[in-house]
Amino acid sequence: MSKQRQQVTISADSKTKLADVLFRQNIPQGIILRENPRNITHFHSYGGISKFFDGLAAGTLWGTVCGSCGNAGIWLPPRVHCPDCWQEMSWVKIDTSQATVYTHSTTNYPGAGFKATVPCPLISVEIPGICTKLMSYLSEFGDGEPYIGMPIRPVFSQNPTYTILDLSWVSRD
Amino acid sequence: MISFGNGNLRVPKLSRPVYMVAAGLTDFRKFYPEKQSTELCLESLKMAVEDGLGISPRDFKKMVNFCVYSQFADHFGDQLLAAAKIHDYLGFDPLGNIEVKTGGATGGSSVLAGVMAIASGYASLVPVIGWERMDEVNTRQGNAYIASAACKDFESELGWLYATYYALMMRRYIHEYNPNRETLTKIAQKNHHYARFSPYSQLPGDYTVDEILKSAVVSDPLTFPECCAMSVGAASIVLADEETAFRLTDHPVSVVGTGSGSHTLRTADRRNMPVLLLPNERPQLYQDRKNEWPGFTSFLAARFAAYLAYNMADITDPVKELDVLETHDAFTVSDIQTYEDIGLRPYGEGADFIESGDAFIGGRLPTNLSGGLLGSMHSVGATGIFQLSEIFWQIRGEWNKFHADDKYWGRFGKTKPNNFENLQVSNARRGMAISHAGTGSHVTAIILERGWSSE
Repeated sequence: MSKQRQQVTISADSKTKLADVLFRQNIPQGIILRENPRNITHFHSYGGISKFFDGLAAGTLWGTVCGSCGNAGIWLPPRVHCPDCWQEMSWVKIDTSQATVYTHSTTNYPGAGFKATVPCPLISVEIPGICTKLMSYLSEFGDGEPYIGMPIRPVFSQNPTYTILDLSWVSRD
Repeated sequence: MISFGNGNLRVPKLSRPVYMVAAGLTDFRKFYPEKQSTELCLESLKMAVEDGLGISPRDFKKMVNFCVYSQFADHFGDQLLAAAKIHDYLGFDPLGNIEVKTGGATGGSSVLAGVMAIASGYASLVPVIGWERMDEVNTRQGNAYIASAACKDFESELGWLYATYYALMMRRYIHEYNPNRETLTKIAQKNHHYARFSPYSQLPGDYTVDEILKSAVVSDPLTFPECCAMSVGAASIVLADEETAFRLTDHPVSVVGTGSGSHTLRTADRRNMPVLLLPNERPQLYQDRKNEWPGFTSFLAARFAAYLAYNMADITDPVKELDVLETHDAFTVSDIQTYEDIGLRPYGEGADFIESGDAFIGGRLPTNLSGGLLGSMHSVGATGIFQLSEIFWQIRGEWNKFHADDKYWGRFGKTKPNNFENLQVSNARRGMAISHAGTGSHVTAIILERGWSSE
């Protein structure tokens, strides 16, 4: 009596595709270049700084400040813990009435996954009393903008993505 | 931290002398489907052993006791524990090994780990092997992978492009110090030019300042020739203790200074602090300084690494006491920033290091004669090792042996240019390599010196 054997098969969705051109160059003969496609979802937690991203969705800019380090300044991006004394910091609403452009660069060839249109004017934001200079972008710009010292105000996305892109800036003039 | 305790500024000490005895490279290409990373790593180490030490791989392997592997990004190569594959491919099992990761400074940090292994007595002969496989994805995806080494919560989404993060610094640098825009392009011009005389280089070329300025703008104001290569290739060096070094060669190169520094991954989080002074700087130099420090124009990590390395090597005037230098010229602006951070010029005057001619062959401190990251390569895990290979050959007087010989041009399917220039620095005795990550998240400074007494 012959033994019963089970078959092992390869799932139909693993379609094999070989590339013959990469970076506009032909693949040398005898070399196999196989396409390995990806589509993966990560589940990323904002943990203790979730309040910041929740704030963007609600139209509020939150920073953190250390109660035990005196006038060390407000952190924006916020951190849960003070890097100097490791104590938990307190949340504070950011006053953006004096915000200006600290530096800027308009990008033309962003990397894959960039969600904004190009050219996109990226900026670093200077705010009195804040010890950091948050990176962000202008969602509206004219000739000669952005420029260093340009007065700006925040704009919060109406359709939150819960990423830093929910915050952008426009001219205060 | 923005103020230091005594422990923070302790100058490193090696418990026993460490020497570099050999170096080997592959060529660097945008795209290298002909060879897997295993093959490239083997070829670079084989060159170090056969052409450098002049011994057989079999004899070399009998002496090795520990290995260090240097690769920046697992997602580029798409292979976790790639080092284990390479270690196996080289036939080193069951010797112990580690893989080091500090972004763009991975090469420098890997050499530092190898130095520590020898200096501590844990090992007597250590190959340090670096590579990067950057051609499994297209350039836009490659830039996104590199930018996933920025903060994913607050930075990466804003461009997915390191050129932008440097362009933000560049705009601020130009605002604060107002250098000639042309001077920045001359760094790119110099390094692409020197790359013409390297059989290993990926982006050799002679450009006019105007051509560089008028090239497509990646992220304003940075143009394409001002941004480094994305490369595939490998580099290897061999470190040894004194006894082993002199058994292998009469001309070992001594590791006399090492420093490693860091700063916030997010450029945004760099708080204002007093300038950390180098041995060649007096406090009066910056007493009237108005600009913030380090701000967006300086790299605290580079300054910190140089502070440790100079103090360890007793260097008080780097331009005078170093003969050759390799910097991490990922972008023209970061190079000029680095000149100031490592004390070649005071803050704000970095452009003069180029304009004075100091940085060129024949100048006081020829810099990136290898072609650097702009002209030759940035196969990230290999980069810091590539830099030290070039410094090693300069100090041994072997630049011609490893650049002018038709054998190497032929090995990579290239022809040596007719108007070939000799870039050997005459009587080079001491050199330094700066390895640099992120927007200055990690920096190492490693100083090499002639390790034999001149007869």
